[in-house]
Amino acid sequence: MADSVILVTGGTGLVGSAIKHIIDTEPAGSRFGKRAGERWVFVSSQEGDLSDPAQTKKLFEKYKPTHVIHLAALVGGLFKNMKYKLTFLRDNMLINDNVLHSAHLTQTKKVISCLSTCVFPDKVTYPLDETKIHLGLPHESNFGYAHAKRMVDVQNHAYKDQFGSNFTSAIPTNVFGPNDNFELEGSHVIPGLIHKCYLAKKNSTPFVVSGTGKPLRQFIYSYDLAKLFIWQLREYDDVEPVILSVGEDEEVSIKEVADAIVQAMDFHGEYTFDTTRADGQFRKPASNKKLLSLMGGFEFTPFDKALKDTVKWFVENYNTARTGVKA
Amino acid sequence: MSIILVTGGTGLVGKAIQHVIETEPEGSRFGKKPGEKWIFVSSSEADLRDTEQTKRLFEKYKPTHVIHLAAIVGGLYINMKCKLTFLRDNILINDNVLHTAHLTGTQKVISCLSTCVFPDKVTYPLDETKIHLGLPHESNFGYSHAKRLVDVQNRAYKDQFGCNFTSAIPTSIFGPHDNFNLESAHVIPALIHKCYLAQNNGTPFIVGGSGKPLRQFIYSRDLAKLFIWQLREYDDVEPVILSVGEDQEVSVKELTDAIVKAMNYKGEYILDTTQADGQFRKPASNKKLLSLMGEFRFTPFDEALQDTVQWFLNNYENARTGARGT
Repeated sequence: MADSVILVTGGTGLVGSAIKHIIDTEPAGSRFGKRAGERWVFVSSQEGDLSDPAQTKKLFEKYKPTHVIHLAALVGGLFKNMKYKLTFLRDNMLINDNVLHSAHLTQTKKVISCLSTCVFPDKVTYPLDETKIHLGLPHESNFGYAHAKRMVDVQNHAYKDQFGSNFTSAIPTNVFGPNDNFELEGSHVIPGLIHKCYLAKKNSTPFVVSGTGKPLRQFIYSYDLAKLFIWQLREYDDVEPVILSVGEDEEVSIKEVADAIVQAMDFHGEYTFDTTRADGQFRKPASNKKLLSLMGGFEFTPFDKALKDTVKWFVENYNTARTGVKA
Repeated sequence: MSIILVTGGTGLVGKAIQHVIETEPEGSRFGKKPGEKWIFVSSSEADLRDTEQTKRLFEKYKPTHVIHLAAIVGGLYINMKCKLTFLRDNILINDNVLHTAHLTGTQKVISCLSTCVFPDKVTYPLDETKIHLGLPHESNFGYSHAKRLVDVQNRAYKDQFGCNFTSAIPTSIFGPHDNFNLESAHVIPALIHKCYLAQNNGTPFIVGGSGKPLRQFIYSRDLAKLFIWQLREYDDVEPVILSVGEDQEVSVKELTDAIVKAMNYKGEYILDTTQADGQFRKPASNKKLLSLMGEFRFTPFDEALQDTVQWFLNNYENARTGARGT
């Protein structure tokens, strides 16, 4: 009988699989490795539809988690988010309410939910920090998702206040790594560009990057983020969220990302920027001051290496990766 | 044939709407129109926190329109004690009503927000554009977040499905059929009840707080007319503040004095400054309302308060006072 049962919802996704990788590969008993008496359970939607309270309840009854890292969500690209505002809002709220309320009713000791820097207000002063989440409406492009995620912070405070529940949340910036969604239709910028470059190389067509390449972003490697989640699980018990990110000085431009992909892919074909396409927000830096002050040091994987490893994973796993092809 | 379902139909506002529908001349601006069937439901008929019960309610009445007033409400103290309950139960009620309305093809839903859900740190006067510009006051944490979410839900339903869902934002409401239970009542009914007890029992009449906070109060029967107007003539997803003008603010002390007068109370009252005041002031603009409605004659405050006190005195046995299981 394990002392701790840690349930990871969304356990087979980008972040979930990264946490599993860390737990499976870091030395047992090390800072980010599995501890004695810990049982880690990674579940996907196949095991239970978390938008259904009965299925969520059964999942909790089956595993009796002492801890939950709640990553499961309905996510998607720009087009889907704008077409299905109600679905993204409501389904995410159902998932989150079912998980938090089941955790409360079964007296789970701790839940860490996952927000995102993309849920912050559209009109805000930079850099983003943990105090600014609710200071205005989010950007329309992720209306439903953003409102549902912000509500998790509200729910955490309410559960804490009324019941003393140890519910908290993490706010990652842009995450990338193996097991991402690489579909061209709905993917985020790094997996989208990796897939595009792969196809350009394969088909001997041009690799065209939308926009000027100038926008800046902070990217966090999923394996690094996984370690930060494990740290937060073990050592952070405040209701207030924590931004999990590289430093502001680690911003990279889209052009730098594309260059790194071209190099990692060993692509020698035509490589251009389509400046007629929209850029999106120029930059949205987030501060990781709070994280570093709490953790002491943390060694982030250098961007080029992380990107190279991700490209390598994609090339080797193309046939089974989430590419939207051969569905 | 229109079937207008009023949830929270036996509450402060629901009763007022019923009163107006039943007493205004048929066919007049705020009176019942031919072909309209009005249904006022309470929680005894269906617990709207339960999806199945909500569904059965809609199947029973098949409403074409809904004025959705039902909510878990309470005063300062209970809001601060039960943050999760106020948040979650209100979200459940609202989601059940809106989603059931959507699934059954209800033509229109007007939900009810409140000026108390606006941001704590905000520039005054409040107007319809400021609802989401920061966190609400802690004193109504759960209720506020749940209500604000209704505005988000309305937009999402409108955007994805074209639903005609909208909302009203009243200021502080008072009138007959209010909750007069001292544990959880809002300021006017609480003070009326306290004064009544002081008068009847010779006990001290103690007013919690400094008496300084200012509020715009709207008489429930005036608000009822505004809801009827919004039901008939307003089809935008954007909320409308339903309020008297900003120049009509009264302080809690002025309110107390007016109650003393209406009650003909001869004793003294004490302001207990050790008790929390709640938010100091939150003036709201009714410019949008007046620009859309043209004119509207609000009942003068003293007259409305007098009528409310009179109602309470006449109906003490049946009023929601918290005594004898009421």
